[in-house]
Amino acid sequence: MTALPEKKGLLVFLGLLALVIVVSLAAYQITGHMGIEDRFSHAVGLPHETGDETGGGWFGLSLEGSPLLYGLVLGILAIGCYAAYRHFSV
Amino acid sequence: MAHIHLEDGSFSLFWVIVWWTAAIILIGISLYLLRSGKKTDSRKITIAAFCTAAAFAIFQVSLPVFGGVHLNLTPLIGILTGPVIGSFVVLIINILSAAIGHGGWGMIGANTLVNIVEVAVAYATYRLLKNIIPSLFSRAGIATITGLLCGNIAMILIIVISGVQGVSQSTPQILTGLSLLAAVNMGVAVIEAFVTGLIVAYIGNVRPDLLGGERS
Repeated sequence: MTALPEKKGLLVFLGLLALVIVVSLAAYQITGHMGIEDRFSHAVGLPHETGDETGGGWFGLSLEGSPLLYGLVLGILAIGCYAAYRHFSV
Repeated sequence: MAHIHLEDGSFSLFWVIVWWTAAIILIGISLYLLRSGKKTDSRKITIAAFCTAAAFAIFQVSLPVFGGVHLNLTPLIGILTGPVIGSFVVLIINILSAAIGHGGWGMIGANTLVNIVEVAVAYATYRLLKNIIPSLFSRAGIATITGLLCGNIAMILIIVISGVQGVSQSTPQILTGLSLLAAVNMGVAVIEAFVTGLIVAYIGNVRPDLLGGERS
């Protein structure tokens, strides 16, 4: 009995995704290839340097902010998660 | 995903204070609701801790899509923890992000508001569709798209209302530019919707108790 609503849900989801992809690609074609900071500066009219933020890093992935502080904060958060997991016996 | 990537000084001091005040008021309301309600489930606290760590970790990673974008998992935070605890989670993520150099300190208030909108709308959509769409994957995906769309609208409104210092563009020009930016942003929402849908469906399979007993 739940097969029909489940299929309907998936269809709605996929339809939404298709719509979003079309609109997004159209906007990307209009604005051109640029990094997120440049895209923001360009959108509001601030001076910006053309270029993207991809490349480098691992497989094109790069970190925003200081990598050292990122590792440090993430380590502290991981310890906090472990402590909460143990303390509350989830 | 929706995050105001403008440096400190882009908004006037007046608007920085306004958005910080609005964010503090919402956090205050959340704190009041948290303390006045029944005792918080300890599992929710642990999930909130995991959400904070995961969202912080992924928030700083720029993906090589459309020139560089990032996910932020705010709809997932909303679905798993709800808007009350989720408000604290996004505040902490924004503070920690600013601390490592991703986003300005003055923008924390505005960005927290944008993220609270994403958390609250995703949560509400996920709950409202419970009887209409039983599939956890589809429902979480639709909630993510809806939440991120509203987050982008909130971001546009905040920037247009505040104005940006040192620019000569008119409001309609800024509105057009930001609408295009939001549309590009929404392309990344597709990835986030899949990720959120898969995570929620997985949790529904292995730990349905964490989703209030719902199975995928």
